[in-house]
Amino acid sequence: MEERKKYAELFNDIDSGTVITVGLILLATVLLIVLSQRGLNWLANRLHGQLRFRVFALVPLTRLLILIAAIVLIVPMIIDPSLRNMVTLFGALGLAIGFALKDYVSSLIAGVVSAVELPYRPGDWVQIEDAYGEVKHVGMRTVHIQTPDDDLVAMPHLKLWDTPVYNANNGGPSLQCVASFYLCVEDAAGWVRQALKDVALTSAYLRFDAPIIVVAEEKPWGTHYRIRAYPVDPRQQFLFITDLTVRAKQVLGQAGIKTAHLPPDTALDAGEVTSGPSKPRG
Amino acid sequence: MAKRLENASSSLWEVVEIEAFSTPEKTQRSRRQHYIRALRTWLTGKRDAQRHAIEENKLRKLPEVRLAHLAPPIDWSRPAAALGDTLDRAFHEQPVVFFVTPPYGGHPDIVSRWAKAHRVGLIEAPAVEELLAGEADWVMQLNEQARWALPALERCFLRNHAGIQGVRVFLERALGGHLGQGVIGCDSWSYAFLKHIIGLESVPTLTLQGVEGEQLAEYFIGAGRGHSALTVYSARTGEPLSTESQKQRKRESDFQYLAAHCRGQLGIARSYWREQLREPVQQSEGDEELWLLDALDEAELTNETGDVATLVLHALLIHSGLCDEALAEVVPFTRHEALNARMALTRMEILSEYEGRWQVAPLSYASVRELLTSRNYLVDPL
Repeated sequence: MEERKKYAELFNDIDSGTVITVGLILLATVLLIVLSQRGLNWLANRLHGQLRFRVFALVPLTRLLILIAAIVLIVPMIIDPSLRNMVTLFGALGLAIGFALKDYVSSLIAGVVSAVELPYRPGDWVQIEDAYGEVKHVGMRTVHIQTPDDDLVAMPHLKLWDTPVYNANNGGPSLQCVASFYLCVEDAAGWVRQALKDVALTSAYLRFDAPIIVVAEEKPWGTHYRIRAYPVDPRQQFLFITDLTVRAKQVLGQAGIKTAHLPPDTALDAGEVTSGPSKPRG
Repeated sequence: MAKRLENASSSLWEVVEIEAFSTPEKTQRSRRQHYIRALRTWLTGKRDAQRHAIEENKLRKLPEVRLAHLAPPIDWSRPAAALGDTLDRAFHEQPVVFFVTPPYGGHPDIVSRWAKAHRVGLIEAPAVEELLAGEADWVMQLNEQARWALPALERCFLRNHAGIQGVRVFLERALGGHLGQGVIGCDSWSYAFLKHIIGLESVPTLTLQGVEGEQLAEYFIGAGRGHSALTVYSARTGEPLSTESQKQRKRESDFQYLAAHCRGQLGIARSYWREQLREPVQQSEGDEELWLLDALDEAELTNETGDVATLVLHALLIHSGLCDEALAEVVPFTRHEALNARMALTRMEILSEYEGRWQVAPLSYASVRELLTSRNYLVDPL
């Protein structure tokens, strides 16, 4: 009886006016979140370049600010915000969370951290564990990643605590792409390097204010060439790599440059470094 | 920039080094209209093709014969003379000098006229079939001459591996002084591309300075002076457009607005001038009043323009126009897709045909350049 009375003292007297006010604040919060998320996404999708990513970055941040404002308004209406009350309340909540909702709340907290630290934001191309794709939505608990195969992966934010997040463009339009070629080159190594650079320079997708680097690496089975270059828009990365690959194969084929034949065991090992956006692959 | 506006009465054909080029100062109206247009495009997804100007229904387009008198083709002999003066004054020891203008800027005519006036031999650009075949024989056949000129470098390459080899060898020989002293005319978009492909940083490059509104007023109103009692009224203000009135209004004049919109390019401004001139449906006897429409009736691209159309437009600008066969060789999609995109853009009047090549139409150039800039594509320095 005494314990019950102690917990009852935590809360203010809640009359019908308070309930209506809290209800209205919650309704306004939901409306504001929906409007701001849709409005900012709509606006960002009509922009290009750096501005697009800046507007996208505002999406989770705006939602966080609206939520904080709603909590600041609602909590004093329901609870008497004295130190003793807060300690009691958070103690009870901590116990419940520790046992039942640990991962859920951990994801929510990581969601708040992600809105501040911005390890990813809508429009970024990220890899978290095995999922690589474009960030479509940063929610409260999960981040939605659309893969090139058109799968939507809902990744909980709590991965932030212990999993590396590879962000290929980090809120900007620069995303490095790598096109790989496995060649059997004897004395035309310099010509191949120039030819591959020319292939990149003449690509319609090339971003000219970023560098083009052709890397050659000698292997027991031949030479591994890589073109490292940037497309105009990160969304063009697969078209860009395809364009580089198709045209380079044509140029090399016409010049009589032969493809290296990899021994079966090496071929399996090389599966990790095939063409793709420049980032570690699982 | 403001200083240039104050001194706008200087020569219309001022040849300057490319680093000294500046675009005309934007008027408050062009800034305001830019924002309104951007907002409207966002909200509606497209721009109204026509906006109503004052008494527009009482005005009609001029017949072609009259337009030919009022806005005759630009005489490029004066800029050719200005180019000659600049070359003789400061660049007579350089192995190669570039002369660059934006689309419709007239560099092939200017360089050709300069060469003719100075009895300099012209180097002919290779046929498109040669470029498509990836042949570079045209470069191998060149011999050293005392002086030579190439009017249009943009006709000497295609944006693919085989298509840039010839122009690379040519420029290596020319810049090394192995061909003699030469002047190369080049489109500004091709120049921007070749700068990355070959590296032209140390080559002296000249261009025509951007034209201010006051100079445009003198040029256009002066061109029609042969007509008796010719008066052009602004459909926006209803006031007569005279050189004096434009001088007084300076930054907010109709011509300054036109100059800013065209980035100081006379060739493009002339197309707008021809398109905007109107005459009253009921002309009073003996009077030859003309009206200049306020609205720039131009083909606009929306923000939703897809990648295929954008890449086609960029390819056409880089090459200063291409035939369908050559276009298919420089874009990363099938011949059929390239043709479809080209035809769709032609229907929208974004593209026009000239001498068998498809190019960005003068009235859509500003819009296309803006779109490509906003999407981070390589754009010209002018």
